[in-house]
Amino acid sequence: MDIISQLQEQVNLIAHLAFNTIGTLQRDAPPNRLSPNYPEPPAHPTEDAANFAEQPKIMSAALVKAAKQFDALVAALPISEGGEEAQLKRITELQAENDMIGQELQKQLEAAERELNQVQELYRQASDNCLNLKKPE
Amino acid sequence: MATATYPPPPPYYRLYKDYLQDPKSAPEPPPPIEGTYVCFGGTYTTDDTLPSLEEQGVRQLYSKGPDVDYKKELRSLNGDLQLHVLELADILIERPSQYARRVEEISLVFKNLHHLLNSLRPHQARATLIHILELQIQRRKQAVEDIKRRREEARRLLNEALTTLDGN
Repeated sequence: MDIISQLQEQVNLIAHLAFNTIGTLQRDAPPNRLSPNYPEPPAHPTEDAANFAEQPKIMSAALVKAAKQFDALVAALPISEGGEEAQLKRITELQAENDMIGQELQKQLEAAERELNQVQELYRQASDNCLNLKKPE
Repeated sequence: MATATYPPPPPYYRLYKDYLQDPKSAPEPPPPIEGTYVCFGGTYTTDDTLPSLEEQGVRQLYSKGPDVDYKKELRSLNGDLQLHVLELADILIERPSQYARRVEEISLVFKNLHHLLNSLRPHQARATLIHILELQIQRRKQAVEDIKRRREEARRLLNEALTTLDGN
């Protein structure tokens, strides 16, 4: 896949990871104590405590890794400074060179075609002479 | 949506009755459309440029100007994005009811990122064209060399054959 499509995929991946991170944390976070007036909320000693502390770390590590990969892809962009005009100038140069080489190729082709016809004519005459047993002049 | 039978084919076929005998007696095909046109109730345009962000109502975060340094802007937008994600996490801790603004800002950064990447596509197209032209020039040069070589070879063989025949 070309690099711009890879960059676009990476942006979409970062979006995916960011919203997954925030959403998962928001959905699974254990309840927090709002104010000293209210009693401590009932703790849920289900599977939350153990692996919940790891999840933010894992998810944020994945997010940062994706962001670093994006930076690496940006660094690998083969953009030459010079912009649009330089590219268009190069294209016209290449087109002119292409035309020249095309004409040269055409000339060589025609010359080769002529020589081929000459050789074929010679063969025809030689084989005619052989068949008719004529002495060469 | 109301269903209906298919419309009948347009009656223009009668104009082409004598096409085989006289191709000019039938009307010419319509010329290519220019500008905007309406197709099945939707307007389309023939000018396929990428609309700028202001036209889509999105604020542009990276610096405008004729030459944008794509790498620098992409990297700074990436950093902005990470900061906004952190801000969203913080505001969910302190003032959870104000998440909407932060989420809007994150989506703004994403829109800018995608617009910047899309604006790189014309550059990529021109670079591809340059590459193709270079390849074609190389192939043509190779073909010219090949033909020259073969002609020389043929000429040499003919001379050899001539000397061999003359020797007899």
